[in-house]
Amino acid sequence: MTRCGVFLCECGGNISGVLDLPALATGGRALDGVVNVAVSQFLCGAEGRRLIEDVVADRGLDRIVIGSCSRRFQGPTFERIARDLELGENTVAFANLREGCAFIHRREPEKAQRKAQTVLAAAVARAGRQQPLQPSRTFLNRSALVVGGGIAGLSAAEELAGAGITVHLVEREQSLGGYMARLSKTFPTEDCAMCSLGPRLANAATDSRINLHTLTEVTALSGPPGEFRVRLRHHPRFVTDQCVGCGTCTGVCPVELESEFDLGVTRRKAISRPFANAVPSTFAIDNRGWAPCTSTCPAHTAVQGYIALAAQGRWAEAYRVASAPNPFPSVCGRICPHECEEQCTRGRLDQPVAIAAIKRFVADQAGAACPVEVPVRRYEDRVAVVGAGPAGLTAARDLALLGYPVTVFEAQPVAGGMLRLGVPEYRLPRAVVSAEVERVLALGVELRTGRRCGRDYTVDSLLASGYRAVLLALGLQQSRTLPLPGAGLPGVVGGLEMLRRQALGEPAGPGPRVVVIGGGDVAVDAARTALRQGAERVTVACIEDGDTLPAQPAEISDALAEGVELATCLMPVAILGEDTVTGVRFQPCALGEPDARGWRPPQPADGDPVELEADTVVLCVGQRLDEDALRLAAGVDVVRDRLVIDPETMMTGRRGVFAAGDAAPTGGLIAIQAIAAGARAARGIHNHLRGQTLLDVWPSERDRAEVSDGELSRRTARPRQEMRVLPPVERATGWREVRLGFSEEEALAEARRCLACGGCSECGSCAQACPAGAVDLAQRSWEEEVTVGALVIATGHQEFDARRKPPLGYGRYANVLTQSQLARLLAASGPTGGELHRPSDGQVPKRVFMLQCVGSRDLTSRGNEHCSAICCLFATLHASLIRESYPDTQVTIAYTDLRMPGKGHEEYLRLVAERGVRYVRSRVGEIAEEQDKSLRVRWEDTLTGGKHEELFDLVVLTAGLEASAGTTQIARVVGLQQGAAGFLREYHPKLRPVDSQRAGIFIAGTAQGPKGIPETIAQAKAAAARVTSMLHGGMAATPVDIAFSDPGVCIGCGVRVNVCPQGAVRLVDGDRVHALVDQASCRGCGICAAECPSGAMTVGGFSDAELLAEATV
Amino acid sequence: MNAPATATPEARVPELGASDVPVSEVIADAADGERAIVAFLCRECAYSAADAAGNARTPLPPTIRTIMVPCTGRVSPLHLLAALADGADGVYVAGCLEGQCHHRVGNFHALDRVAFVRRLLESVGVEPERASMFTMSAADTPRFVATARGMDATIARLPRLPRS
Repeated sequence: MTRCGVFLCECGGNISGVLDLPALATGGRALDGVVNVAVSQFLCGAEGRRLIEDVVADRGLDRIVIGSCSRRFQGPTFERIARDLELGENTVAFANLREGCAFIHRREPEKAQRKAQTVLAAAVARAGRQQPLQPSRTFLNRSALVVGGGIAGLSAAEELAGAGITVHLVEREQSLGGYMARLSKTFPTEDCAMCSLGPRLANAATDSRINLHTLTEVTALSGPPGEFRVRLRHHPRFVTDQCVGCGTCTGVCPVELESEFDLGVTRRKAISRPFANAVPSTFAIDNRGWAPCTSTCPAHTAVQGYIALAAQGRWAEAYRVASAPNPFPSVCGRICPHECEEQCTRGRLDQPVAIAAIKRFVADQAGAACPVEVPVRRYEDRVAVVGAGPAGLTAARDLALLGYPVTVFEAQPVAGGMLRLGVPEYRLPRAVVSAEVERVLALGVELRTGRRCGRDYTVDSLLASGYRAVLLALGLQQSRTLPLPGAGLPGVVGGLEMLRRQALGEPAGPGPRVVVIGGGDVAVDAARTALRQGAERVTVACIEDGDTLPAQPAEISDALAEGVELATCLMPVAILGEDTVTGVRFQPCALGEPDARGWRPPQPADGDPVELEADTVVLCVGQRLDEDALRLAAGVDVVRDRLVIDPETMMTGRRGVFAAGDAAPTGGLIAIQAIAAGARAARGIHNHLRGQTLLDVWPSERDRAEVSDGELSRRTARPRQEMRVLPPVERATGWREVRLGFSEEEALAEARRCLACGGCSECGSCAQACPAGAVDLAQRSWEEEVTVGALVIATGHQEFDARRKPPLGYGRYANVLTQSQLARLLAASGPTGGELHRPSDGQVPKRVFMLQCVGSRDLTSRGNEHCSAICCLFATLHASLIRESYPDTQVTIAYTDLRMPGKGHEEYLRLVAERGVRYVRSRVGEIAEEQDKSLRVRWEDTLTGGKHEELFDLVVLTAGLEASAGTTQIARVVGLQQGAAGFLREYHPKLRPVDSQRAGIFIAGTAQGPKGIPETIAQAKAAAARVTSMLHGGMAATPVDIAFSDPGVCIGCGVRVNVCPQGAVRLVDGDRVHALVDQASCRGCGICAAECPSGAMTVGGFSDAELLAEATV
Repeated sequence: MNAPATATPEARVPELGASDVPVSEVIADAADGERAIVAFLCRECAYSAADAAGNARTPLPPTIRTIMVPCTGRVSPLHLLAALADGADGVYVAGCLEGQCHHRVGNFHALDRVAFVRRLLESVGVEPERASMFTMSAADTPRFVATARGMDATIARLPRLPRS
């Protein structure tokens, strides 16, 4: 039987004024287990403590019941007394007689009294079922992690380092400094903000006990207080410590982005440093990932890069970027199906940027003049490339640049592969192909034409004659045929053969009527070629319909404009004729379901067969590998008409023999895929010849940068430049290029439509220009885990988004700013050097209007209810600065109330008002923009009731403070609660203002609530003090109100393993399988205990017995 | 309205959902024996809100007695049914807002369990509204007050739970 002592507190009249404590005491004495009842005036004070000590000793108590205020208020006080008296943990029960009884039933004292009796009896019943619990000890790691590098974080870090605690200071921006770094001067002394902040920054940079992690975010938290394991994700800076801060890079960077540091008042380059004494002082590149164009391109060309340079007319540099992965930019600019354009973000706004056409202009404009630097010969390993097409020549170029001697063997009399011999002249002039082929050869690559693999040499013979590696870039040179009756008749030709003969200048005479069978680009090429060769009537017949036709839409429209006829949904069933072709019979068809490889076979449909007359039939139904080339090439395998390679190395089954391009495809059969494959093969060959993996065959990819719909909506729509084409009348009689390309003005205008999705365009200009060689564009994010004892969250605030108040015109009118933006304009180190220029015309405003309480003290759902405490002072400060520098400028402040609490602030207001600032107590109705961009403001004077309307040159909105987006993010990661406006919820607003809801995690600064700089610093140092006292002993007791399981009762069902939100419950072996709770991770929520079917699981201090005793009294 | 103790169990159980008792009789009824409501409040949000209501001296119905639990997830149907069986005319659970439970999912478990208890009560002929759950934020004192008063009014309209 327990010996329970009841102690009732008068609470200085708060309780005793409503409840009859002596009567309650009498009732209490009658309860089972109670051996003593005492009453005290202030049980929580020294006198109360003595009383408890005395009674515990005198009466030999082992349980204490406290009838007082809420246990959330003074509970720890009494628990500490019990601990000190060595009664053990969980030996105190509470009756909430104040907040739960006396305060709320003041008007019904009899009912209050009856309830108090019940509540007391419940507490005594609970005490009777309480079991003392033993805490275990846990190690405390003497280090702390501070999240947020603003003035709060810096102040806390300084204090902690001074106490000998290792600090990890984590900041998501590229520099420390936070919001304070953006201010001009601070109130009420008008000290310069940077002068106060500067020393803190310098200290953080030089103190060896503070580890700086900028461009870093916290991504996960686990473990108990004292041994938190924090996962950090470091975003790449792309600039190394070699950076000396000279800023040459910003001069050459072609990308301009909105400056977050300047709050959108100016723009900055993709490589930048936010302010002069940033810590760390190195620049950083804002790379948001790969733009969709770069991501989609099979060669991952830095598309945004050359477009950014093109937009500035820097053609030679643009050419360098465009040709870096691809020696054929002029070619691809003409013939590539440019999937990049389909993915272009601009397409969501108006039309995609004409990427291919810009690339064509860049290459045509600057390619010829760009000097070819003959690379240094580094190695003696000779490489043989079979096939001078895009894959082979790209590999040859890259290998030559790496320093290898390369020989290219080509069966045809000219180099270029499909580019020269497959794409007709009117799409891709020979001169264009030759020029780019010549640039490759100029690197010292040897070309031997008229040499056919399998006939003049073999793979075996190449290896035997000393080549250390062979690349088979054979392409697919033969047309597939159809197993139709009449397929062997004279007049039936393969599409590839027809195009090749035309390209080699051989005479050709198709009959007057030509039928081309096939729906791809080769078919359209063959059809348009036939027209130019003199055919009278050309029909393209294919199994696909208008939507599924594989040929590029531009090609089809050009073909139709030239008079080619298109017959869809027809499958050929026989080629007609006796000695020569006379026609083709087709059956109407529809495409069936896709098979395992995705190909949709044609299914005959209802309808009569269709016959087309023809003198020439051109088969364009696919391309085949020439297997004769593989004579004496043992180990090189062919599966389903393609060479087999290991995609990771690009090697075939024969050591030292590689393959790339159409013959061993990894994507579509298009030039850019072949080019990308050739580049991969070069890297694979290099790794093979050097015997180690020096280069990644497949470059690591970046995440795709996305532009939100919101950002997109702020851009103006401008249509795409149309490409000029030769009028159809001029086309069909000759081989002149049909698509005429852009002019310089058109190319510039089109390039300027690029949205710079990826931020940094990876053009490489900064890397080239940096005198210290500090730019490293290959950097990637990386993660690390640190173990710390405690956390301080100081993630700061953001300004209320004034766009949520549309009548005020923010975001629409150029001359409506917020106070923070004004701070950037007034800051001496800011974008205007401290000169007040209004945005629309750069003039100094003569009439400035400031509106207070924007988004604050707002009972509607479009604002915050709280007052942000510092706004009146903020506006007054800026008004004072403006009056000081511009005595002719009038400043009017429209306020709701003027709140100037604290030392020196009311005095400051009086001083500034005397400087001629006009304060008007008012409600503003509307702000409207005039023609000259000045603003007409309508307001009602709330003192006189009068209505006013005046013109102003500049309007400044004093928007309130809310918790920053980073605060919400860290709250989610770490598990903290947020209150109104997102501010972090403290454990108790009076008693524990810097503790969060979680043990070991403290909060400070504007993340906790709106406040000024002195209060922020004070709170930060208070948080640091909390950390210091927490970690002081090095060891701590684990809390006892956590779950534990009785292995004797547990049936090992595992239910609780699944429900624990912390993952703290595991099944372990023993006499039988049972559940075990990880005491360090358990948070004591009790979900497991409620789920436990056997009753083995309980929570310390909240067992079923205790809860039921209290509930069922 | 209260049936005599000698009546058969079926007659003592009121019609489910029916409430055609005139208001004046309800008031007389409520005075005819005080209702008892037991409330399980989570330590983080609901108990905070309750304390805040207390500090603001907001008058609240004395029928409600509060018990603190670490998280509403601790409350099992056993606790709710035991309270009802042993003297309470109504029970409710109050916890954090959905998605803001300090222990992430505790309140979702509690919502499920209260729903289960309501179904169970209905199946044995007891009014399901005798068991409820409310969610609120610690800052939302008005909601704590409104739900407490609302529950008190609901239970006042019902007869006392018969005891054997």
